[in-house]
Order: sequence, then C-alpha cells, then structure tokens
Amino acid sequence: MTRRRSAARGVAGVVLLSVACSGEQPRRTDDASAGWSPYPLAEAGATPARRVVSLVPSATETIRALGRADVLVGRTEFDTASWARPIASVGGGLEPSLEAIVALEPDLVIRFAGEQDTRTPARLDDLGIEHLAVRPDRIEDVYGTIDLVGAAIGEPERADSLEAEIRAGLAAASAGVGHLPRVRVAYLLDGTPPWAAGPGTFIDEVLSLMGGDNVFADLGALYAPVSPEQLRGREIDVVLLAGTQAPDASLVPGARFERVGGALDLPGPGVVQAAQRIGELLHGRSAR
Amino acid sequence: MSRWALGVALALALVAAVILGVRFGSVALSTGEVVDVLLGGGGAVERDIVLGLRLPRVLLAGLVGGGLALAGVTFQAVLRNPLAEPYILGISGGASVATVIVLSLGWAAAGSWLMPVAAFVGAVSAIAVVFRVATATGRAMDVRVLLLAGVVVAAFFTACIMFVLAISPARTVQSAVLWMMGSLAAANWTSVATAALYTIPAGTVLMGLARPLNLMAIGDETAHYLGADVEGVKRAALLLAALVTAAGVAVAGVIGFVGLVVPHGVRLLIGSDHRALIPLAFLAGATFLMLADLAARVALAPTEIPVGVVTAFVGVPLFLVLLRRSLAPRSESK
Amino acid sequence: MRLRADGLVVRYSALGAPALDGVSLDVPGGALYAVIGPNGSGKSTLMRALLGLAPLSGGRVLLDERPADDWSRRDVARSVGAVPQAESFAFPLTTREMVEMGRYPHLGPLAPPTEADHAAVDRALEACDVAGLAERDVTTLSGGELQRARLARALAQEPRALVLDEPTASLDVRHVMEILELLRASADAGMTILLITHGLETVAQFADRLLLLSRGRVAAEGTAAEVIREDVLREVYEWPISVQPDPATKTPRVTPMRRDAR
Repeated sequence: MTRRRSAARGVAGVVLLSVACSGEQPRRTDDASAGWSPYPLAEAGATPARRVVSLVPSATETIRALGRADVLVGRTEFDTASWARPIASVGGGLEPSLEAIVALEPDLVIRFAGEQDTRTPARLDDLGIEHLAVRPDRIEDVYGTIDLVGAAIGEPERADSLEAEIRAGLAAASAGVGHLPRVRVAYLLDGTPPWAAGPGTFIDEVLSLMGGDNVFADLGALYAPVSPEQLRGREIDVVLLAGTQAPDASLVPGARFERVGGALDLPGPGVVQAAQRIGELLHGRSAR
Repeated sequence: MSRWALGVALALALVAAVILGVRFGSVALSTGEVVDVLLGGGGAVERDIVLGLRLPRVLLAGLVGGGLALAGVTFQAVLRNPLAEPYILGISGGASVATVIVLSLGWAAAGSWLMPVAAFVGAVSAIAVVFRVATATGRAMDVRVLLLAGVVVAAFFTACIMFVLAISPARTVQSAVLWMMGSLAAANWTSVATAALYTIPAGTVLMGLARPLNLMAIGDETAHYLGADVEGVKRAALLLAALVTAAGVAVAGVIGFVGLVVPHGVRLLIGSDHRALIPLAFLAGATFLMLADLAARVALAPTEIPVGVVTAFVGVPLFLVLLRRSLAPRSESK
Repeated sequence: MRLRADGLVVRYSALGAPALDGVSLDVPGGALYAVIGPNGSGKSTLMRALLGLAPLSGGRVLLDERPADDWSRRDVARSVGAVPQAESFAFPLTTREMVEMGRYPHLGPLAPPTEADHAAVDRALEACDVAGLAERDVTTLSGGELQRARLARALAQEPRALVLDEPTASLDVRHVMEILELLRASADAGMTILLITHGLETVAQFADRLLLLSRGRVAAEGTAAEVIREDVLREVYEWPISVQPDPATKTPRVTPMRRDAR
C-alpha cells in the first residue's frame, strides 16, 4: 500500500510539475469569467481506478457518459437517475458516511474541491484512500472534469471524444437559436423574496449561450434575494422557476412562467440536453 | 420625558417613515414619479411599484412592528418578566415547524396562501399546547409554569425543525432558514388586511386592560385586592398577544428583537404605566420596523437583507444609548 | 362597615388538615380588630378567604351585611383596602405611581385621575409620612418605607375598611407607633380595621378585640385581657411566655422567657 502511494505521489508530482512548466492551463483562457475557482488539484493514481466512489453527481454522470459505469461502486443520494439506483449510496456529497465508503473498498473517491468540506479529504487521507477533487461550477469545468475523470479510470481517448461531442453539441444548440431574438429571462429560486441567479453562474452561461439575457446580470453575487420591486421594475419575457414557489403573476406582467426544476443544478455531461431544453423554454416552438 | 412629547414625536416619526418608505425602494424612482402615482397618474410599472408593492409593504411593516411591540409589552406585564418577548410561548417554534413541513413536502407550490395559513395554524397550536400545560393543575394560572412550559415547548419545536431540515434537500433548508429570518417581501393588500384584522382590535382591547396590567406588575394578590379580575385578564391578555404574534409570524416570518426591545425602550423614556406604554410602544414598534424594512430594501439594492438582521444591528446600539441615558439619576418622573 | 365571617373552612388540598377550620369573626364598624397567632396558623389565609382569593369549602363571609358573593370585585376594592404581607415589583415604579393605584377601583379603564384623586393620594402619602419619597423608585425604598407606602396605597382607596397583613413588620418603634396611632384614629373615625400582626405587646394597646388563631382554629377571642393570658399563650405558641400587667399602659406586657437560662 505504502509503495503504491509513494509511486502515485511520484507520478502526480511529475505530472503537476510538467503541467506547471507548460504554463497557463490551456482551458483557462476565458477572461469573461470573473470569480472562477482555481483548476481542481488532483492526486491521480498511476493505475486506472477500478472501484470508484463518486461524491459528485456530475462526476457520476461523466463516468457513465464515458461508458464505464461498471467502475462505479458508490454514489450519493443526489444521484437519483434510475440507472444509478442499483449502486450503493454513501449519503450526501458533503457529509458522506465514511463507514459506507470504506465498506465498498474503493481505490478512488471523487469529491468536491473547495472549502465547504474540509473533513472528508482529511478523513480519506487518514484512511489511506485516494481521492480526486473536482469543482463543477461552470461549463469549462465540465470539460475539466471529463479530462480528470477520464484519466483516472483509464479512458483518455473516450474522454477526448466525449469532450469534443459536447463542445459540438453546445455550439450547434447555440447556433440553432442564433437567428431568434434574444429573450429577457429571470431565473428564480424559492424564497421570500425569491432568489435570482446572477452573473458568473453556470445558469447564466447556459442562458446566454441559448439566446437569453439574464435580467439580473447586475446582481453583484452568484445568487441573491431580489426585492419584488426589482421584478416589476425590469422587463422580463420569461421567468424560469427552479423551485416550487412562483412570484405573483402581477409582478411580471406579460411574462411566461416555465418550471425548470433541478435540470440546471450542476454542470455535467448532460449540459447539451440541458441547453436544448433551455432553448425550447426560452423560445417556445421556434427553437425546434 | 413627558408622555405627550414622546407621543407627538413618535407620531411624526411614523408619518415620516411612511413617506420615506413609499418614496424610496429597491427600484430608483424620482420624487416626481412617486407624486404622480399618488395623485392618480403615472405609468403602469410605477403604479404597480408604489401602490401595489411599496405602500402595502410599509403598512404591513407598521402593523407587524406595532403588533410585536404590543405583544412584547403584554407578555412582559403578564409574565412579570422583563425578558419576555412575543415568541416566548413557543409561537415562533410552532409556526416554523409548520412552514418547514410544508416546504419539505413541496406543498408550497399549491399556492402562496398555504405558507401563511400553515404558519398561523402552527403558532396557534403551540399556544394551545402551552396553555394546556400551564393550566393542567386546574388552579389559577401560574405564570412561572407558563413561562417554563413555553421554553420547553419551544425547545421541542426547535428539535423538530432541526430534524426535518436534516433530512431535507439543500434548497428546502435554505428556504426554511430564510423564512425564519423574517421578511416583509410578500406584502400585499390581503396580508395588510389580515394583519390589521388581528392587530387593531387586539390593541383596542389591550388598551382597556391597561390598568389591570399595571396592577399585575405588583403581584396577583394585590391586583385582586385592587379590583382586577386577575385570571380573566391574564387569559385575555395572553391570548390577544399570542394571536397578534401569530398573525405577524404568518405574514412576515419570525422578526426578532422588536418585541423585546421596543417595550423596554419606551419604558425607559416614560415609565411603566400601560395607558401610555401600550399606544406609544405600538407607534415606536411600527416606526422602527418601517424604517428597518426600508433599510433592508434599499441598502444593498437590488438584493434585500433579511429585516431581522437590520432590526438587530440598528436596535442594539439604539437601545444601549437609551439604557445609558436611563442610568443617569431620574430628576422627575413626568 | 361590618365584617363578618361564619365558620370559614378553607382547604388547600384534599389531604391533610384544612388551613382554616371553622373560623368565625365579627368586626363592627369603627373597631380595630387584631388577628394574632403563630406562623402557619392561618392568618394570611383568613385575609384571602375574607376577600375572595381562597375558595371556601364551608362557611360564609358577609361584608356590610351583604354576602360577599353579592359584591363585585370592584365594589369590594372601593370599600376595602387590603395590603398583603409581601409584594414584588417586576418593573420600576415611583412611590406616587404605586399609591395612585389605590384610586384604580374608582376610575374607569382609561379615565385620567381627577383633582380629587390626586388630593386623596397626597393625603395618603402625608398620613403615612412618605410624601418626601413620592418620586423615588419603590425598589430603592427601605423595608419600612415601602411598608408605609403600601399602607398609603390602601388609604388612597378611601375605604370603609382596612385589612392589613403585618403592616408594621419592618418598622422602627417610632413608625410602628405612628402607624398604629393612625389606625386607631381611623377606627375612632368610623373605619373598620382588621389587623394581622405578630406584635403581641403593642397590639394590646390599640386593639378593641383580638382573635388568636392556632392551626386553623380559633384558640381565643375577646379583649386583650381575655386573650393575652399566660396559659393561653404558652399553649398556643409552645414557648414559655410571661404575661404581666404593665403599670404605665394598663395593658398586658408579654415577655418570652429563655429556655436556655442557667
């Protein structure tokens, strides 16, 4: 075990060194994005992982999209897709059951990067389990995750082709609505007053890609509550509802309400389908 | 300070608060536009904002703030405890449990009326449970038992809330926590009417109980000897205060601090005679919450701060100033 | 105003002895009547029973020839000034504000006090020698000052009868005598006074009649000479007490003896 760990560390060190020496990460050149998280740090194993516990739903989706759902031995409660049900659940993504993870004897755990959960990486280190951090915040992160996960499970070629597929799919979807007039849209979550998605969010990116102008592009935060006056005071064509509560129709006269549910919750390989759905919701029939 | 001086000052402050609350808001409108609307003109958007959103919201803030202050005064008098405040009998706990359950079951989608109704039912249930416990012995209501029952029931409800939240998805937790922080954002003319329906009659009846409430401050036995129907007053006053609080929680969530500190602030200025304390505390609470809500709406526009945060941030220093002032020797009482 | 009780029985719980067991008294108008007895003999319960705070398991109370049940609480408060043994104050209150509460039974729910009310309050403050403390917070008064202020409140009610539980408990000798002289003068002027007290010696100088309670029952009733007797007191108080006539006041002098004397 120890020798494998030190070998893994050695390889990781070399990989990181070479990556660092090659300069800026090639995929992080988009200046229009303020507030991105740094590229997720990885401790990749030398041999492809065969038993993977994924604490990140989009990583779970990615593994399936790469055609290797067979390596998945553990998922979170939030992986609710029917194909994932037979796989054992280890609880929540940020507070997983360590016992359940250990019992599955994984050789890799994929977890969220960032400061929200400092315990899980520490505990995994204590238990000597390899872990890989991903941070799916924006569309770019989808590609980053595919790359990392693909490398970890030994499918780098499939990862590349999946990434190309998604890029092409998004470009096509975006071009498909390019001729339509831009739609003024507000993306609202539950709350009194309701919360809106602001600039710099994945949602904002997809909306923009699919011909929608987020009326709350000046929000000053990723998500924040907005005064009802703001809804009335801005011209809104479409209100997308992520939750169960809807604002009074009189607050947004003339706007169309569409329920999105959790479709845009996390950036993942399903982003093309999500974008197509958004396109239909925004533009109605003309999107097809 | 003289009661009348404070009364006039508060009345003026109230009017000023209403004017400011209508003139300013999250969306920047010019004075001309606002005046236009008030005179009957203005564009559709401006009319909707000023008359449909700002005006009812300001009035609701006044009714809820005044109601919470009234409830605070009443609970402090009946429970003979300066630390009493409107949520002390588990009212906020009961309302919160009900709304958290509604949120986690996804019923909120059924209609925006469901949350306030659930909150009210939860609040009233809490009151019923606490009253039952306190009068279980069948003898006169011992307010210490009532207080203890309230604290225990509130703790139980908190545990229920924690449990439901622990097994709920993140979105539900967020909605619930935000609701519990209190907000006047859902104000419309219906909620104003509801709040008025509870607060105004309750305030009127409580004014009639002002002298008996004064007597309660000395003790049940003496109050009885001076002609008060102690048990009747206790029950009526507690019930009215609890209903006003429940109505406030139903339309605006749990807004803390107002019901505890506004009564004390007014007491520090004009003493504990409820004939003056009741109306002045109502005015002070109304003005305070109106101004706090204005700050909540405007400070970080287009986003809103939970109004309970503003009431605490502003209220605490204000109260400390009053407290320091009161510790100077009293030269004359009236 | 005549205060009468016939065979009062008060039980606080179904088990155990009753707090009052067949106690009767009859205080005519203009008399000063003292109720004495050891701790726990039922004196305070008697006050509560007379004024409607203790549920009666037996007997009846007549106030001014009418059954107590026929009186409204407010009517009683207008005619009878009652001061219990102890009170506590939840919030700051000036002495004047507290004494003013004595006028409440005469005022409607919201009517402000009239000149006549203020005059009654001033007279009461003067009579009890607390006029100088009128603007002070009651929680800053000494025990004795507070005692006198509470009596002032009862006097402010301008009642026809006073029922007082230990009104002289924390007072120095001068104030004890001043208060008792005040009460005596009031009685002579027609007020009915029922006084619960521990002060055996002084009460003999002022009371018309005494009622001695022991364990909820009447142990003796009558004039000072009849009630304050060695054999009676020794038995009721369970302590060696010597009673001698005092040549100066012509009333019995009560001296408790030391049991640990060498």
